[in-house]
Amino acid sequence: MNAILFALPIIGQLETVARHVLDWLHVTFHLPWAWAIVVLTIIVRMLLVPLTVKQIHSMQNLQRFAPQMKEIQKKYKTDKQKQNEELMKFYRENNINPAASCLPMLAQLPVFIALYYSLKTFAKHPPPGSMSWLHFVPNITWHTTSFWGGYVLLVVYVGSQMASTFFMSATADKTQRYLFMIMPLVFVFVIAHFPAGLVLYWVTTNLWTVGQGLITRRLMPRPAAPEKRTSRSAPKAEPPDSEPSDESEGGSGNGAAPKPPAPKPQPSAKAGPPRKVRRKKGAGRR
Amino acid sequence: MNAVSRAPAYLGIGLVWAYRVTFGALFPTTCKYHPSCSEYAVQALKTHGLVRGSFMAGWRLLRCNPWSRGGYDPVR
Repeated sequence: MNAILFALPIIGQLETVARHVLDWLHVTFHLPWAWAIVVLTIIVRMLLVPLTVKQIHSMQNLQRFAPQMKEIQKKYKTDKQKQNEELMKFYRENNINPAASCLPMLAQLPVFIALYYSLKTFAKHPPPGSMSWLHFVPNITWHTTSFWGGYVLLVVYVGSQMASTFFMSATADKTQRYLFMIMPLVFVFVIAHFPAGLVLYWVTTNLWTVGQGLITRRLMPRPAAPEKRTSRSAPKAEPPDSEPSDESEGGSGNGAAPKPPAPKPQPSAKAGPPRKVRRKKGAGRR
Repeated sequence: MNAVSRAPAYLGIGLVWAYRVTFGALFPTTCKYHPSCSEYAVQALKTHGLVRGSFMAGWRLLRCNPWSRGGYDPVR
């Protein structure tokens, strides 16, 4: 309760900012309020592009290691804590940058809250201008289930949320991924009580995620699968002491981590058997 | 830290929980760190109080970006 009281002034500020941006879009570009929300969402997502593209890229990289990661997940199925620790260790050993990160998602939180409160204010004191959207949403401040178009919006929400989750949770373990995919079906009952404008924001941001996922997949070719280690291949050279553990000492945790090189160095040490080299030549790098 | 001086930290912990059951549940994501950012925030607030704990949680959130490498990062 007191936590909510503590947050109230911040929410007020957020609402004011959102209201200014919406007013600007409405007045300057003569956009109806609903379209102003759509454009606001697009602006926010455009600002987040550097974050999300990097995230998708890391995710594609990470998928190369899916078999090994699945093995770890299977091995420590019962002990989530141990599973996480082992996964982190695996990431570090292989110089992997895990795709998922909280910042891009959290950056959307203020926008979401601000829109929610702006729409509540709109409902109390309707501003001049059309509140409808595409003829099937009569008023963006109404609860989504209070008109038939709202149900259409909810169906689109569920579909788009599932699709965006599909793209953004590619590296989560299977159970977690299914859980994330099912969640919109559960939350649709909560969302049904939200103003239609907020669902519109949600649908727009989800569709953006899907579009971005599709485009990035096209533009960035999937990296080649890592070479399979066989009993014949030379053992991986022992890393010269562990790499600088990124944050543990509070040092350079953030920011540009040194770009991880290809995961498997060409086995160089050891006067290895020449047979292996012949086999690699064809399949090696592409 | 005694119970009285720790009280303000519970305000922050309340916010983290509010986030977890609302936005965190609506926009599920996996964290690249262990413990996850929200868990780290709760631990930091409990251990170091509202002010320092909030800074630590904020700093962790900033570090949890697509460019960092994640990993095991407990509250110290």
